[in-house]
Amino acid sequence: MELRDILSEPPKIALEQDATAMDAISAMVENTISYVLVKRLDTEDAFGMVSSSDIITDVIAKGLDPNDVKITEICSKPLVALNNIDLDMRWVAKKMVNAGISRIAVFEGENLRCFVSDVDILKAIAKELKEGLSSHSGKDMQRGKKR
Amino acid sequence: MTEIDQTLRSIVKTFRMPSIDAGASVAEGIIKMTDDDIYALLVPRRNKHDAYGIVTKKDIMRKVISEGKNPKKVKISDIMSKPLFIETNLNLDIRWVAKTMADSEISVIAVFDRGDFYGFVTDNCVIEGIYHASQRRRLDTDSEYVSC
Repeated sequence: MELRDILSEPPKIALEQDATAMDAISAMVENTISYVLVKRLDTEDAFGMVSSSDIITDVIAKGLDPNDVKITEICSKPLVALNNIDLDMRWVAKKMVNAGISRIAVFEGENLRCFVSDVDILKAIAKELKEGLSSHSGKDMQRGKKR
Repeated sequence: MTEIDQTLRSIVKTFRMPSIDAGASVAEGIIKMTDDDIYALLVPRRNKHDAYGIVTKKDIMRKVISEGKNPKKVKISDIMSKPLFIETNLNLDIRWVAKTMADSEISVIAVFDRGDFYGFVTDNCVIEGIYHASQRRRLDTDSEYVSC
């Protein structure tokens, strides 16, 4: 399985750099997502990302008020990124583990294409395992359908 | 100054946790996780002197998939974390729940009430708790939000 099999939609929610941690929390809960993208100022700047664990470790665990913390202080920037969509799933997983993160940005040239999370990988693997559990002929039929 | 006044009891949303046998394969675990959309599985104890174990998506990513192993050939007992992190004080402020998560680099904590399994909290539960606390504080202070 390759990275191209698990690509998803580009992120819909992006915050400006002067937003606070409370804005990030509201955006996450209202849209039931667990991360928000932080926009860049110009093409020389890097994209950033705030995940729920960034907020937990850097704001709540320290007892700070989320309204007083800027997202630029807590965001992961620059992003851990991949641009080879033919990469095997194993190396995508390895990159996540090495960086200690659960979401990787996929770039296509200069542009941010989408994010890939560990849940996406597990879902793809579960789907493959389920297909394998059904009879062999069934698996071949499904493969034939794809082509 | 922070005014987070939420207790652990109010943020526990899920009062059950899917469990899996320690001898099962990781493949079964992955299917169970994605079916239930809960990415942590409890491993029951064998007797009352034994400890509970836990398997999360992070364990599977770290010890199976990124190593290129076949999930069908690895057992849950080889990758599980045991004993698991627990909280027993249901009136604990969520700041300290967050602190436990940050210090031990975990994202799921099981909550036990007097020795019995009560539920579990994830990092998203904590975020939701903070959000609801701030919404409620707005309702209490700003008159414009009390229109309905």
